[in-house]
Amino acid sequence: MKVIIADDSLVMRRIIENAIQSMGLETLHAGNGHEVITLLEKHGNNIAVIFMDWNMPGMNGLECLKSLKGNDLFKHIPVLIISTESEEERIDTAMAAGAKGYLTKPFTSEELIKFINKSI
Amino acid sequence: MTDKILTIDCSPPVINVINDLLGKDTDVESHAFDDIRELINYRMIIIQDSDDQDDVLKRIRKIRYACYFRNIPIILIKIKDRTGSIESYITAGATEVLSLGDPQAALRQILKGYLIPNRQPLTEEMDYINSFAEHTCNVIKTVASLDASFEEVYFANDFKIFGDISGLIALSGGADGILGITFYWPLAQKIIAQMMATDEDKINAELIHDGVAEIVNMIGGSTKKAFVGKPYHFEISLPTVIVGSGHQISHSDNAPVAVLIFKIDFEYFALKVCLKPNKENKEQGA
Repeated sequence: MKVIIADDSLVMRRIIENAIQSMGLETLHAGNGHEVITLLEKHGNNIAVIFMDWNMPGMNGLECLKSLKGNDLFKHIPVLIISTESEEERIDTAMAAGAKGYLTKPFTSEELIKFINKSI
Repeated sequence: MTDKILTIDCSPPVINVINDLLGKDTDVESHAFDDIRELINYRMIIIQDSDDQDDVLKRIRKIRYACYFRNIPIILIKIKDRTGSIESYITAGATEVLSLGDPQAALRQILKGYLIPNRQPLTEEMDYINSFAEHTCNVIKTVASLDASFEEVYFANDFKIFGDISGLIALSGGADGILGITFYWPLAQKIIAQMMATDEDKINAELIHDGVAEIVNMIGGSTKKAFVGKPYHFEISLPTVIVGSGHQISHSDNAPVAVLIFKIDFEYFALKVCLKPNKENKEQGA
């Protein structure tokens, strides 16, 4: 099974990847929502979970999440939103749109692994 | 308190003129360029021009670096008549270029003007400054396991900050402004290496560029929650990065700019916060 890490920051993708690879999962990278959809069209059947940054250029994480939840082919795939912003209103918006979890940056690798284990 | 002035590699005539111009309220020290280390305790630095312009520019850059983001004026004294543009000196980090041939009264007025202290924050301004400082230290600690200490803050209306790389994020909503973080390369490289749990020699310019953007993004995002329901609440935009040795960021909209200086081990970085509650928000809060 594969995991998609969607973040416009290469550094953040690598940080998340380090944690995920230690759990034995293969990773695919996307820099925005459009790239997530492209990856899903190619690997959709093998995607276990999507880590999605909210603030990305082009199609942002929330827009992508809404798009996926409206698509019968992809709506079953759990999406975990990652964001620098932690206001409750924002978290509620993501969860109402169908997110499986919400993690606020900055986080330690321990917090990330705990979040992954709890969410998938 | 007496202002400490440092002259670097200046000739006796220049030192004498500086002493005459600035008078008894200053303590003028003289050092050789090769002896300079940290310059943060000086109120002004005077250097002298030479025929080798490249060498002068190199010295100005090193002196500016050793000021560690403090707003310390660097005055270049030209012995001969001014020829050509002074822009290259200012871009390198000099604050002013003066000539000994200028009228003494004008020189005195200009130099004394640069000794006026920076404005310190008001009590109400410390509320948001402390929030930014606290979240900056927390972000660095959480992502890079490094202890950053908040050293000092001052306000500058017209200040150019010098550094190798800056991450910037526009603030809008209840308050408008800009948030910027500026590093010199070595510290930026160290922090990004720590973030990625790898060696510093594996951190290239692209990763530093990317990581600095992410750091300012995290500082802006985590700090904004502290301002919910307050006049300083803001929304953040996507970060942008400016790279280049000795680049400058200046503000032209007359909004006050708080410069917060942080230290990690023996290196420094600066956070610039330019934040102004917008008019409608101010009126609602009143």
